[in-house]
Amino acid sequence: MKITSLWPKSGKVRAGLIIVIFFIALALFGPLIAHYSPEATGSDVLSPPTLKHWLGTTQTGEDIFSQFVNGARLSMLVGLFVAVFSNIFAVVVGMIGGYFRGVTDAGMYIITSVFLIIPGLPLLIVLTAYIPSRGLLSIAIVIAVTSWAGTARVLRAQTLSLRKRDFVEAARATGESRWRIIFAEIIPSEVPLIASGFLFMVIGGILAEAGLSFLGLGSLTTVSWGSMLYFAESGQAFLYGAWWWFVPPGLAIAVIGAGLALINFGIDEYADPRLRTGRKLKKSDRRGTRALEGGMTSLRTSLADEPEAVGDPTIDARAALNDEYERAAAVIRPPRRLPGETILDIRHVRVDYPTAHGTVHGVRDVSLVLRRGEILGLAGESGSGKSTLTNTVARLLRAPAQVIGGEVLYSRPGQLPVDVLKFSAEELRRFRWAELSVVFQSAMNALNPVISIWGQFDDVLRVHRPSMKKSERLALAKDMLVRVGIDGDRVHSYPHELSGGMKQRVAIAIALVLNPDIIIMDEPTTALDLLVQREVIEQIMKLRDDFGFAVVFTTHDLALLLEISDSIAVMQAGRLVEYGPAEAIQTEAAHPYTRALLDSLAELGARL
Amino acid sequence: MNNGVGDVILEARNLTKEFPSGSRRRRFGPRPTFRAVDNVSLSLRLGEVVSLVGQSGSGKSTVARLLAQLYKQTSGQILLDGEEIAATSGRAFIDYCGSVQMILQDPFASLNPLHKISYILGRALKIHSPELRSAEIREHSLALLQRVNLRPADRYIDRFPHELSGGERQRISFARALAANPRILLADEPVSMLDVTIRKEMLDLLNVLRVEENLAVLYVTHDLASTWSYSDETLVMYEGSVVERGNSKDIIDAPQHEYTKRLLAAAPDPARRRTR
Repeated sequence: MKITSLWPKSGKVRAGLIIVIFFIALALFGPLIAHYSPEATGSDVLSPPTLKHWLGTTQTGEDIFSQFVNGARLSMLVGLFVAVFSNIFAVVVGMIGGYFRGVTDAGMYIITSVFLIIPGLPLLIVLTAYIPSRGLLSIAIVIAVTSWAGTARVLRAQTLSLRKRDFVEAARATGESRWRIIFAEIIPSEVPLIASGFLFMVIGGILAEAGLSFLGLGSLTTVSWGSMLYFAESGQAFLYGAWWWFVPPGLAIAVIGAGLALINFGIDEYADPRLRTGRKLKKSDRRGTRALEGGMTSLRTSLADEPEAVGDPTIDARAALNDEYERAAAVIRPPRRLPGETILDIRHVRVDYPTAHGTVHGVRDVSLVLRRGEILGLAGESGSGKSTLTNTVARLLRAPAQVIGGEVLYSRPGQLPVDVLKFSAEELRRFRWAELSVVFQSAMNALNPVISIWGQFDDVLRVHRPSMKKSERLALAKDMLVRVGIDGDRVHSYPHELSGGMKQRVAIAIALVLNPDIIIMDEPTTALDLLVQREVIEQIMKLRDDFGFAVVFTTHDLALLLEISDSIAVMQAGRLVEYGPAEAIQTEAAHPYTRALLDSLAELGARL
Repeated sequence: MNNGVGDVILEARNLTKEFPSGSRRRRFGPRPTFRAVDNVSLSLRLGEVVSLVGQSGSGKSTVARLLAQLYKQTSGQILLDGEEIAATSGRAFIDYCGSVQMILQDPFASLNPLHKISYILGRALKIHSPELRSAEIREHSLALLQRVNLRPADRYIDRFPHELSGGERQRISFARALAANPRILLADEPVSMLDVTIRKEMLDLLNVLRVEENLAVLYVTHDLASTWSYSDETLVMYEGSVVERGNSKDIIDAPQHEYTKRLLAAAPDPARRRTR
């Protein structure tokens, strides 16, 4: 990593860093340029800022600038001490408890909880009142003791979750020792939490010290920002209008707190290599790109020029294959004549993703037709652009994806077609769910875990059917559950009380509740095993017969599409490579990519 | 030590695993348990693939984790080279890991996103060959990448996992497992998260490794059909027990148990398409 790449791109983080570096420099070098000792009294009493005394003097003639820079040193030292010690304590307690579980965890959990519910400031006051020496170190220790518990709790929870991750299990299976796993796998993953805990403990330490000193409970023999405020208050600086006495320390505490909080915004960027990649982009573009990086890798390798790859057999073979797919003309067969009229006409849609490595063409000039009641299978592997296409149709595309051309014409019965891509927010609200709904890949994640099934039905119904009474809404929700083969009484269950297949069927029921014309099913069965997939597919086919909606069904499992679809569209690297009736794809697949897909399936034992 | 093709190297006898279940409602008395694996016996032979098939919740992944000693069995024995092993930590466990390596299902989750490929492979090498110097570790890592067909290897070694595609990441998992120079590979659904065209490549790679390195392989999957051309023996699991076992091709051609028949029938079948 180059030094320049350490300089943050975010303005907030830059501002925070500049503030903190300024105060650190002040604490380090300030005393060298201050002409007076912070405790030296003088004849200039309560003088406003002058050339001689840059920040004026106190009631006893002490130089406030000297006090200020010395105070910076001590206040920040206390903050740092508190943060270091309470953070070490929090990491040890959180990590050990979370990783080893059992009795150790139970004991540590109780101690942490006790410290959490003790009100911090009163305990501080009591403790400081009783400690024998009220030196700065004792004060710092007392503050540290009262401030570790919150972070320890957060780290324990995070460790509990991390220890079950696959990469921790993989490290164990490799033979890594427990300590190595904790220090090399778990702690680095928690750096953002630890670091932000650290920053807030520094702020907390500075504030607590200032608060204690201001109340006269701190170490009043040393000069800190807190004791300056204490003496300003007891010296009646307000009364004399000596603003120069209390404004500098007060402002400094507020500003350094803000600076540390601003740095907090940038921690993730340093800790996670995944977030460092999109750096060249403008900030507004970054978020979408991250999500994209993973899924688009294969696409990028197929599109981007990669001169280094020349001479390598594997990559050459893959590049040659991609070239072959690219050169082969798309095979578009006339769709089979179906009874229904056209409901969705996708024309020449093109979607681009600008990334740090250049523009990726997510969807390249795709045209498809969906008829009333038709099941259109959209086949493709990761990076093929199939989800980009369905998200375009449902208007769910997020930045940085841009639709750069084409139209999606939706026909209501007896009306002229309208372009979905030109819908206003209000039109879109009426269109989504009522006319077109979406079932996502993992219902486990698409259903809100803290809202009951009934609540999730109700969300949709209250928005789209405001005139319905509550009893009618409940009856409708129960009816929909029965239709997908689930007992109506389960309507009050929460998602975690249902099996994976049931959750997927609930998601389908919610998608159906407004009786839409079109349902987009984005890999609805990929996360399910075969028996459950069979169950869900049969349910979908039965519902389609009952309701007569049209389906766009995406998956990489061409065998499944051959079974259920009327027509099939195959996408590869953003392009529509083959499109036609399902029988034609099965018996006379013409594009080399389609054939490669079918061959792979056959070798994996699929019946074709 | 056994070396010939077909010799039993790892044997599981009457493995049973119970997990605590539900919340601890009763304060006294034994905690309720749930039996995830019930009395499962199997043998892995050098150069052969045994498939463990079942739907989610059937206990097939738990069997793989018991064999990897990531979980301790409630009862039953695991024998490596005919000797019973009973170590889930310390030097003995590391030695066991040297013989038995595991590949997990999800290549997006099984590599720590914070570490470069060089670190991930380097650690696995260092644990099992502590005598290697750092230059040698890099050389060995490059060789491992070549063995799993990630070429040119130096284009991959200094990357982070998120810069690779799913198939490339799963190859890294294979390379990490091979770093220990194991004799047994436990592959827990190694292809179910991958694209169809990559699945075939990955199973072919597993096949090549099995033949070239004479590895014993346990292939855990929910896709019974995929065992036809890639495995020798198949065990079908249902609710923790083995309900059918036998030659892989025989099981697909002539399933005996009702559950096996249901599994086979659940596979997509274009012949079922309704003519409208």
